[in-house]
Amino acid sequence: MTGKIRALVVAGTLVAGLAGCSSSDGDGSGGKVTLTYAYWDQENQGQAMTKIVQEFTKSHPNIEVKLQFTPNKEYWTKLQTAAAGGTAPDVFWMNGPRIGLYASQGALMPLSDKIAADKVDLGKYPKSLVDLYTLDGKQYGIPKDFDTIGLWYNKALFDAAKVKYPDASWTWDDVRAAAKKLTDPAKGVHGIGAMPWSQELYYNTIFQAGGYVISDDKKKSGYDDPATIEGLKFWKDLLDQKLSPTVQQMTDNDPIEMFKSGKLAMWYDGSYDASQYFKTEGLKAGVAPLPAGPKGKATVIHGLANVVYAKTKHPKEAWEFVKFLGSEQANRIQAESGAVIPAYEGLQESWVKSMPGLDLQAFIDQLPDARPYPVSKNTAAWARLETDAITKAFTDGQDVEATAKQLATAMNAALSQEK
Amino acid sequence: MRSGGRLWPVHLVLAVGAAAMVMPFFWQVLTSLKTFTEATRTPPVWIPSFEWANFAKVLDETPFLQQLGNTVVMTTGRTLAQLLFCSLAAYAFARLRFPGRDVIFVALLSVLMVPGQLFLIPQYQIIQGLGWLNTLPGLIAPGMFSAFGTFMMRQFFMTLPAEVEEAARLDGAHPLRIFWSVMLPLARPGLLALGVLTVLWSWNDLMWPLIVNTDPESMPLSAGLSALQGEHMTDYPVLMAGSLMASAPIIVLFIIMQKQLIQGIAFTGSK
Amino acid sequence: MSTAGRAVAVKASARPATRRRLRNRDWVWGYAMIAPLVLGLGVFYLWPVVQSVYYSFTEWTLFGDATWVGLRNYEQLLTDPANARALRNTFVYGGLSLLGIPLSIAVAALLGTRGLRLVSLYRTLYFLPVVTMPAAVAMIWTWLYNGDYGLVNYLLSLVGIHGTSWIAEPSTALYALVAVGIWTQIGYNAVIFMAGLQSIPSHLYEAASIDGAGRARQFFRITLPLLSPSIFFVSVLSVINGLQMFDLVYLMLRRGNPAREDTQTVVSLFFSRAFEEGAKGYAAAMAVVLMLITLVLTVIQFRVQKRWVHYA
Repeated sequence: MTGKIRALVVAGTLVAGLAGCSSSDGDGSGGKVTLTYAYWDQENQGQAMTKIVQEFTKSHPNIEVKLQFTPNKEYWTKLQTAAAGGTAPDVFWMNGPRIGLYASQGALMPLSDKIAADKVDLGKYPKSLVDLYTLDGKQYGIPKDFDTIGLWYNKALFDAAKVKYPDASWTWDDVRAAAKKLTDPAKGVHGIGAMPWSQELYYNTIFQAGGYVISDDKKKSGYDDPATIEGLKFWKDLLDQKLSPTVQQMTDNDPIEMFKSGKLAMWYDGSYDASQYFKTEGLKAGVAPLPAGPKGKATVIHGLANVVYAKTKHPKEAWEFVKFLGSEQANRIQAESGAVIPAYEGLQESWVKSMPGLDLQAFIDQLPDARPYPVSKNTAAWARLETDAITKAFTDGQDVEATAKQLATAMNAALSQEK
Repeated sequence: MRSGGRLWPVHLVLAVGAAAMVMPFFWQVLTSLKTFTEATRTPPVWIPSFEWANFAKVLDETPFLQQLGNTVVMTTGRTLAQLLFCSLAAYAFARLRFPGRDVIFVALLSVLMVPGQLFLIPQYQIIQGLGWLNTLPGLIAPGMFSAFGTFMMRQFFMTLPAEVEEAARLDGAHPLRIFWSVMLPLARPGLLALGVLTVLWSWNDLMWPLIVNTDPESMPLSAGLSALQGEHMTDYPVLMAGSLMASAPIIVLFIIMQKQLIQGIAFTGSK
Repeated sequence: MSTAGRAVAVKASARPATRRRLRNRDWVWGYAMIAPLVLGLGVFYLWPVVQSVYYSFTEWTLFGDATWVGLRNYEQLLTDPANARALRNTFVYGGLSLLGIPLSIAVAALLGTRGLRLVSLYRTLYFLPVVTMPAAVAMIWTWLYNGDYGLVNYLLSLVGIHGTSWIAEPSTALYALVAVGIWTQIGYNAVIFMAGLQSIPSHLYEAASIDGAGRARQFFRITLPLLSPSIFFVSVLSVINGLQMFDLVYLMLRRGNPAREDTQTVVSLFFSRAFEEGAKGYAAAMAVVLMLITLVLTVIQFRVQKRWVHYA
């Protein structure tokens, strides 16, 4: 295996050298090439990333990989600035909301030819994820992982309030009833956290209510649809009944921290935060599939991909690295670290087993009900409007319905500018 | 005529005010020594369990020492350059006669009237064009030149009596020599004041580093703190430890150089 | 330009031949000595202003290609309600930061009390916020203002007041920021006022007390008028600082904060348009408008000062 890859590298170097398009530095024989790999989750995935890079360097002694961590909140600003300046990292994490923009503006290297040449089997990854990173027939990313959302709950708080643990049979009504019983203002405990977060919270309930965020042809916003609005109201009602801390409180104190410190009894969150809850001392957490809404079950599925920067100085090495990141070996490291559900077929089981005591199967079981993360070519343009509007709707006395309808108008305008 | 004892009302008012000034820092230090659980307890815990791990976390999870080094280099580079370029030009503007002198001076001063945002995008492009993004030169370059510093030094040179250089001039010394060996030593207080102000501004500068140096390894502390906050959201003990570590050096420097800083500010205020 | 006069006087005393030689040398030396600075300021400050004005008529793709769009950015400036809000917030911020001036004068006056001890200790303490990194100040105050565990609400609870989430609550966040801004400025302004106070000749007070004027009367008749140049300087500075408000807003109110819209300033909006959203042409138009506003405000301040500032 190793020998084969090395042979490929050598072959690649020769080809590039013959073609005369080799970049000036670090390409010479025996010269060490340094790649930069950018990512945004240190807390959950830092260890796995380090280990993957170590393994990669073992089989590719000529390539050094520098890990570059940037917190999620600043990642895209920095990446965009760097890409505009021609200095983006060689390989970096990409997500659904951004792929359209980065690929259409030529910031990413198309991988289709290399995939074909090296016979990489994309059938090993979930189709919805492969499709997410395809634009105009070209593949721009190799799926790295995937995630679904689950209902996290604090077992100690459930036991104390004598409420039955959530299971696959739960509906919205069960959530409401449990939240009521679990809320204890004297102890500062709330039944649930209704934070205006899209992927973790309201996208799921929008789908469960039968609504949609963006139409299939990516031309129309779903925020003026009554079902969509119902999905938003689910959270707003919980806020109004004080079964959740206010959005202000959850801005001061991150709801994830609140759940970890026993201030929230229930909390909708993705599989990517599982290892964080698993590691928290004194927290006995459980997780169940998301409760069904008026139109049945649904969860958002999303996954990251590894992509190559279009202007990388070392395209061959970068591709080698991305290919390794997509390999079974690298996916297994991810699975065993428990950081995320690996995208590679057949490895989900080892992820589930990586955290004994947590029923992570709930995330896998939801796959049949999974709905793709809503995106368009320039997702960021309307996602900003969405964040501001929904935050506002959840915060003050504003009417959810009116705000959502205004949002729909603004979002439609943004969508009409996409080419 | 008034004895110290009769000044207690003044002391009382000043002490209450000083407490309001210092309380936030006290709370910062206290929190940096607490565990997260202690920090989120009401009523507050007044005796922390000295959780030094908060400081270790900052060192482990961010390239803190690297960023400290970047900040020191950036601050030193900008300050030395400003002292040199500004005083050199200021002397010429104050004492030499050449055509267009006043026009050029006023044109340079007009920079002071323009909001910094107007420079940012083109400055960014220059640094990008030079391939200096994520490098120390990129961090330093625009801050090496200052219209304010030139103005301040020119005012300072104008307060110096003309007689001192007259002798040197008649001896045939050229202006650069006069500047270097006669005027600059006399301008020491002005240079120190400008130097301290520049150090303070440079150390604390946030927006420019946020824009040009996006790689954690090449950031100064101010941008590093912003990144730390982006990552640790509401883990206040760690954030307090980081903010304490980043701001302590400049606070210590201020306490040492207090006189010069205050003179510098008082000087700018009197013009 | 009194210097020019003085310089001429000095040179007139030299013999004519020497004078001419000196003048000629001055030419070359003068240009040589200002050259590095003129070059630096020219490249990094003056030319960029011209470029920015040009950019304000262009539109940029995310990764940096610009096309000419005429006045469209300016039209959009007028129609986007976010700008009006940001402008309003900026004015509130700049206006309210003037409230710090009386506080600073009080501190300066108290510190100037004759025979007072511990002056340098007080000065150091009042000055701490001035030298602390704004990024650190923002973090400290975010924590102090925390609705559940912050010191501010704890202290309020001691006197029976139930506080809120100061910087997440849309109705309070802007004022909470103003308070932090004032807190960081008091020490700086007090130093300027102390210098101003020291320059008031003491014989004026002596004469006034002989005439039987009380301390309050002395303050309003002598101190305030003679301090007016400093007050003018500080108020110009406060307004400009207010218009430039960025660090605190950027660090204390991240995206997703419910109060973000209600605290966004022109500069923080500029930053997010230019460097987060990549709309550099549009952002350049914002900067041009901000320059015009600053210019108008400064001219107004200089006009109005003639009515109340007394230069001795």
